[in-house]
Amino acid sequence: MSSLFDRLISLFRGTPRLAPAELQAAFRSHYKDFRALLTANNNALELMAEMEQALGAGQPFGMAFIRGNCTALSVNIYKMIHHLTRLADGRYGELDQPFRAITKQLEQVIASKHVNTEGANILPMAEVDASTVDQVGEKMANLGEARNRIGLRTPDGFVITATAARQFIEANDLQVEINRRLKGLDIDNLEELYTVSAGIQGLISNAPLPAELEEAILGHHQQLDTAPEAELLVALRSSALGEDSSNISFAGQYRTQLNVSREFVTQAYKEIVAGKYKSQAIVYRQQRGFRHQDVHMCVGCLRMVDAAISGVMYSRAPDDPRSPFVIIQAAPGLASTVVDGSAASEQLRVSRTAPYPIVHRASATEQSQTLTEPQAAELATVGVRLEEHFGTPQDIEWSIDRAGLLYILQSRPLGHSVSEEVRESSKHSATPNDLPAPVLSGGVCASQGVGYGPVFTVRSSLDLLRFPKGAVLVIETPYPDWASLLNRAVAVVSETGQMAAHLATVAREFGIPAIFGMHQALATLENNSLVTVDATAGKVYEGRVEPLLALAPPKPNLMAGSPVYKILTEALVHITPLNLTDPASPFFRPEGCQTLHDLTRFCHEKAVVEMFTFGERYGFDDKAAKQLVVENSPAQWWVIDLDDGFTPDFDPESRYVHLGHITSVPMQAIWQGMMAFPWAGPPPVSLGGLGSIIFQSTRNPSLDPGVRSAMAAKNYFLISKNFCNLSVRLGYHFALVEANLGEFLTENYVSFQFKGGAADENRRLLRIRLISEILNEFGFRVEQKVDAMTARIEKKPGPSLLERLRVLGYLLIHTRQIDMVMADQGMAANYREKIMADLHTLMDIPTEG
Amino acid sequence: MTQPLNILLIDDEIDFVETTGKRLIRRGYSAKTALTCAEGLEIIASGWPEVVVLDVMLPDRDGMDCLREIKGKWPTLPVIMLTGHASMETGLHGLECGASDYCLKPIDLETLVEKIAIAHRESRAPGA
Repeated sequence: MSSLFDRLISLFRGTPRLAPAELQAAFRSHYKDFRALLTANNNALELMAEMEQALGAGQPFGMAFIRGNCTALSVNIYKMIHHLTRLADGRYGELDQPFRAITKQLEQVIASKHVNTEGANILPMAEVDASTVDQVGEKMANLGEARNRIGLRTPDGFVITATAARQFIEANDLQVEINRRLKGLDIDNLEELYTVSAGIQGLISNAPLPAELEEAILGHHQQLDTAPEAELLVALRSSALGEDSSNISFAGQYRTQLNVSREFVTQAYKEIVAGKYKSQAIVYRQQRGFRHQDVHMCVGCLRMVDAAISGVMYSRAPDDPRSPFVIIQAAPGLASTVVDGSAASEQLRVSRTAPYPIVHRASATEQSQTLTEPQAAELATVGVRLEEHFGTPQDIEWSIDRAGLLYILQSRPLGHSVSEEVRESSKHSATPNDLPAPVLSGGVCASQGVGYGPVFTVRSSLDLLRFPKGAVLVIETPYPDWASLLNRAVAVVSETGQMAAHLATVAREFGIPAIFGMHQALATLENNSLVTVDATAGKVYEGRVEPLLALAPPKPNLMAGSPVYKILTEALVHITPLNLTDPASPFFRPEGCQTLHDLTRFCHEKAVVEMFTFGERYGFDDKAAKQLVVENSPAQWWVIDLDDGFTPDFDPESRYVHLGHITSVPMQAIWQGMMAFPWAGPPPVSLGGLGSIIFQSTRNPSLDPGVRSAMAAKNYFLISKNFCNLSVRLGYHFALVEANLGEFLTENYVSFQFKGGAADENRRLLRIRLISEILNEFGFRVEQKVDAMTARIEKKPGPSLLERLRVLGYLLIHTRQIDMVMADQGMAANYREKIMADLHTLMDIPTEG
Repeated sequence: MTQPLNILLIDDEIDFVETTGKRLIRRGYSAKTALTCAEGLEIIASGWPEVVVLDVMLPDRDGMDCLREIKGKWPTLPVIMLTGHASMETGLHGLECGASDYCLKPIDLETLVEKIAIAHRESRAPGA
């Protein structure tokens, strides 16, 4: 270290204001803050990118993700401000104000409550309608609408409200324990998921109800008991708050208990509340962006209908929102047999216009014909009426009792898996010709689309645990329990079941192609064999059928529209927009920082300037910047050593530094990239033009513009052994390369900024696009804003970052004049090819230093 | 690493401290664990730890309180806050009280090890 010490003393000798030892300490302290600031900047930018990606990619994330990232982000920005004020000897303290203001807004966004659960713990059905939705959940609110606003027949009963569920959980102080168990749960680890889920459900089912609540439930139950000759049986139906909102249905995710007698009512209630934590519900909420705490389990307690025929009705075909038919599935007995996929039912298509004739009827046998024509017509009338009332196609559960009276058990928006545009486009694209012969054909399309993957048969819960990601789920019966596999499956083939099954609803929402009622599926499809499932056409092929896969519509973004998605969107408003783009602008000030991104940008820019002007403030003489000497001739590049960027034998008195004295690993890599290929000559269209002049200027001192004082006039490397910040101002361009390659991955990064160009705007844009594409191919995360771009890559090991630096070095030299030829697309393509070939050669150069 | 770094983990989640401690030792660090703030302070008073990893929620007292006491008595000892309950408010408060970093559980060991090493390096660098 003594050489560094000596060097610093000599550097400061020109205008001694501090004692040498003090100067050295000050300098090293500043460098330490600078390095810490860069690391915090690195972390902050990575966190922001992660949040933006989460929003775009439709990957599941929860509140923990948002809260965690916002916290980590604010912590890192706090650090940046802290280190900048130290670097700047106390200046920039006013950054605290915008920082506090932004974090306060963020906290409000995160804390925002999206549901309200104050009110009575029981509401009779007569008082339930859409206005009570925050108390009774959407399923029951819709049923109340059907009963009290439309005047349809629904079973008598009452709702045990969200308030009741909250009282129950609070009385037993369960939420803390539940949150503890859910914390850090990896929903992809199915075994862990099932263990945690079962544990939480046990916790809730075994806890006692508050006495007051138990009395209230049994009291209301008593009032339903009006026919003393028969035992009163009720159905308990879950009605989770938020479950049917914005076309998101938790189909089959929660329990419904049928034929419950009086002594089991309270236990059944607790089990339904516990069902909030069924494994598939946990997964579902996480994928769809519901916060567990925002989902409240309301429970409808309804008199059982003594059903002769039951079923499901869609007011429109699920795959066509403009279809002129109501679709009815009917089976003898209870509706649940149709919904859980276990009964062979008949399917009817009934016209939506009076007199509502049956257009088509598909039954397994003559005997299984269940509905009469008047019944079908009555159902269709009700279906159309419900759709009119709710303003959107409905998915309706119904029963007809032994007296022939029609009861509506449930009505909710019909889920559509793909947007209309996608559906339209897939309709127009005809089925490709020359397809191989399918191995299976038939069934019904439960969810449209095409999927490819290895077959995996699931027969038991054990198979469930082993189900691999990306496999085709093959089952005998579409039980709702299999829903937790749908985020891992690429397609579903079931031997039985109808499109009314809950599993079909969920498959449509997830955009997973599914064929139900495909006979012989289990016998034909061997485990691990690769198949292509064309659910739209009801066919399964051996191997990969590319023409069909090319037709597959994109998967819907499952998170879009969910409460957590909304919160992240609102949070990002305060985080990612970048308003401070131009350091020369009068708005580039602490007061101008409106987002966390602005703060990072401001702190980083000022930190670099502070390091740059350290010498000025502390009395470096102008010898601090050494002119780089390459092959014995001075080049137009200057180098400032921040710490240990020169070899110990370097003479600090010298005005020049030879390339051989540079120990900075990232600078050497950039230089390698710059010099690896000689410039092939000016592009043909601008022979002797600006490009070649700029290039010349980098090697010929006589072309130095001669502006000495301002940092803007020269090309500077600020270096240490592990660090390099290179600002290049060549003609009309500005480029900044910055890199740190240290012993910790946390601190490693390469960033690149590029702006401007001499040619007209169109060509500049084309060039930026070309550079963006190339950098993308080399793994950079690229952002482009008009004619400015930034590219970053972080937390990667040194060797891979050195490769990236050589790429940037190359691009700095070789793309400068490209905009001159950019008007010609063909020529641009040629350049791109040449550049990529050069870059791949560069990759093979062994790393130096 | 010439001398293994001495790391103290203060956290009442027994599973977490024990496995993390063991994994740090397997990586060549020296690690001790404490389940309460009082226990942790005792070990710190012995002069042993070089880096402290502190949970925000402790059974005997508020972790932030514990942090304040540590930084009051041993201002140069780096303390990394680690918590399962993310909150911007406590995160910033922790830094204001002198914490080197504020991290969220679950954290992978790789990241934690780097944070510990960086906090230690910063605490020893001049001008700290």
